[in-house]
Amino acid sequence: MSALTLATVAELDASVPDREAAFDVFSKLPLPGPADETWRYVEHEISLEGLSLPAQGQAMDPDPILAGLDPGQHAVIVDGRTASIEGSGYLQQGLKLADLIASDVDKFAAAHRAFVSDGVQIRIPPGKHTASPILVELQSVSPNAISFPHVTIELEENSEAEVIVAHRAVNGIGSYSVPQVEVVLAQSARLRLLELQEVGEGSSVIVQLRARLGRDATLRLGEVGLGGDLARLDLAVHLEGQGSAAEIVGLFFGHRQQTLDYRMVLRHEGPKSSSNVLLKGAVEDSARSIFSGLVRIEKNANGTSAFETNRNLVLSPDAKANSIPNLEILCDDVICGHGSSVGPLEEDHLYYLQSRGISPARAERLLVRGFFKAVLDKLPVGGMEDALAEIVERRFVRAQESAA
Amino acid sequence: MNAALRLADLEASVGDRRILKGIHLELPFGEMHAVMGPNGSGKSTLCHVLSGRTGYQVSGAAELDGVGLLTKAVHERARMGLVQCFQYPVEIPGVRLGEFVDEAAAEAGIENSEQVIAAAAEQFDMTRFLDRSVNDDLSGGEKKRSEIFQISVLAPKVALLDEVDSGLDIDAVRDVAEAVEKMRGPEVGVLMITHYSRILRYVQPDRVHVMIDGQIVESGGPELAEELEKGGYAALRKRLGLNEPEETSAPQKRDPFSELPFGS
Repeated sequence: MSALTLATVAELDASVPDREAAFDVFSKLPLPGPADETWRYVEHEISLEGLSLPAQGQAMDPDPILAGLDPGQHAVIVDGRTASIEGSGYLQQGLKLADLIASDVDKFAAAHRAFVSDGVQIRIPPGKHTASPILVELQSVSPNAISFPHVTIELEENSEAEVIVAHRAVNGIGSYSVPQVEVVLAQSARLRLLELQEVGEGSSVIVQLRARLGRDATLRLGEVGLGGDLARLDLAVHLEGQGSAAEIVGLFFGHRQQTLDYRMVLRHEGPKSSSNVLLKGAVEDSARSIFSGLVRIEKNANGTSAFETNRNLVLSPDAKANSIPNLEILCDDVICGHGSSVGPLEEDHLYYLQSRGISPARAERLLVRGFFKAVLDKLPVGGMEDALAEIVERRFVRAQESAA
Repeated sequence: MNAALRLADLEASVGDRRILKGIHLELPFGEMHAVMGPNGSGKSTLCHVLSGRTGYQVSGAAELDGVGLLTKAVHERARMGLVQCFQYPVEIPGVRLGEFVDEAAAEAGIENSEQVIAAAAEQFDMTRFLDRSVNDDLSGGEKKRSEIFQISVLAPKVALLDEVDSGLDIDAVRDVAEAVEKMRGPEVGVLMITHYSRILRYVQPDRVHVMIDGQIVESGGPELAEELEKGGYAALRKRLGLNEPEETSAPQKRDPFSELPFGS
């Protein structure tokens, strides 16, 4: 175990540039909190006290959600270090920083640069397609540990890939995981990326994900947020190339005292670029959720279209969902729209179902299932819909029964 | 033998406002009755009160096949055999019509429900909608057909049709009327609530009840609907010696098709 100190930094892979400078930023920046604009509404108390970089623990059992998946390559990173890579292909062990994430964004970005220990890189050569999905598991298994895995995905011209990044942690270990995922898509590259966040109870995960899209490149990103005490996704997509496109669909279901925090920035620079965000979530018990989505359309991005939608179901009186969609348009020739809603299940819908003899409890379940169906159907990587629908339903039924 | 539906001295109010002022009505099994009335007469309230919508103070009796309805929850009434065809069926994204009807049929204890659903879907031309979300992106006529399809699967003792022809163009009215006719049977009483006599050109009710100001003021055969078609509610009031309507705060509904010069 190594504490988050300069001495630890000195022992880590020296090929990562600016570790010490990042450490300096890390030690000077305060912990983020609701007073910071980009952490607004996050009331969850963050403490790095007593956390240290762990010695690598034992890998977790296979993930039932991923049971239906047949990956071409499967990398398991445990406590920030690569434990195994099965199959051969374009994924390799090792750190490759694409430098899309500045280390002074916040204390966690600085910590990541200072303490990043290992990771995987995926590089698809021009014109190549991966035949089956690449699965990367980022696991936290050691108690009171903090880890900084790094995933870099680069698709060269006209290549195509399907990647799943699963964030997992053993229940009750009180760990922090601070991964960074960097995505660089060259001209006409097409990536389907699914982020599956199912960190166990008592742990937190703070993901920074950056993507840069070249001309006519397409990113289809799926987000599934189920676990963690504090689970945060800090996502920025830079639509740099003309005709580049990003489609983001996500769902989350928060319960107990979870805080699920989604920050999305879509920056359109390329003309005729397009983006579409659909995030649907539910909060139960005294869970909190935050969606902050900024679509910024730069001056020369003519012919751009951008839509963002965030729908939230608030299923108990103590739960709370915050939704802050934002558009910044610096260009005339654009089509944009955003919509957001926060509220309980619709009375009219419940009444309609009940008027056909369906009990109030069953009617609620049908509606919750229906609410998420639109997103499950659109996830960029198939094969997990049923498992996810079941988890969401189980969670809802548990809350229903404990409320009854 | 019990009536399918029997209402006795049924009253309903919202706050201080009395809306239903003592409704008496008996709908035998095997018959179709129409309740007609002008805007604000309490027709919609009657529907709501029977199906169990909250927000009304209710007194009197409403029995379905001899069993009291008024103390039951919405879904219990449906399981007892009261199923409503909504005037404005809501769209429920993400809930497939097929799965919804499956669940409803299971709750209603329908035997061979798979075949029953398939046959009813075929009969009402709903098969292609089973995999789609409930009422999502359906035309007005398709929505009403979907309602009647659901009712026909659930084989209720009482089918309550609330303004089944509102918002439909003339061809759709004919389709819907045809579907309503198919619902008739010895095991069911159909209660059709309607402002306009238009649909009554295509379906022939056994009895027509006219509701004005929260009461049934006249009952008769199909000829009563014809009288209303010719002279409107004003002429009927005159014949019955009723006062002009009181000011009402109920929102005024307009059906543009009723103003077209149809020949009868």
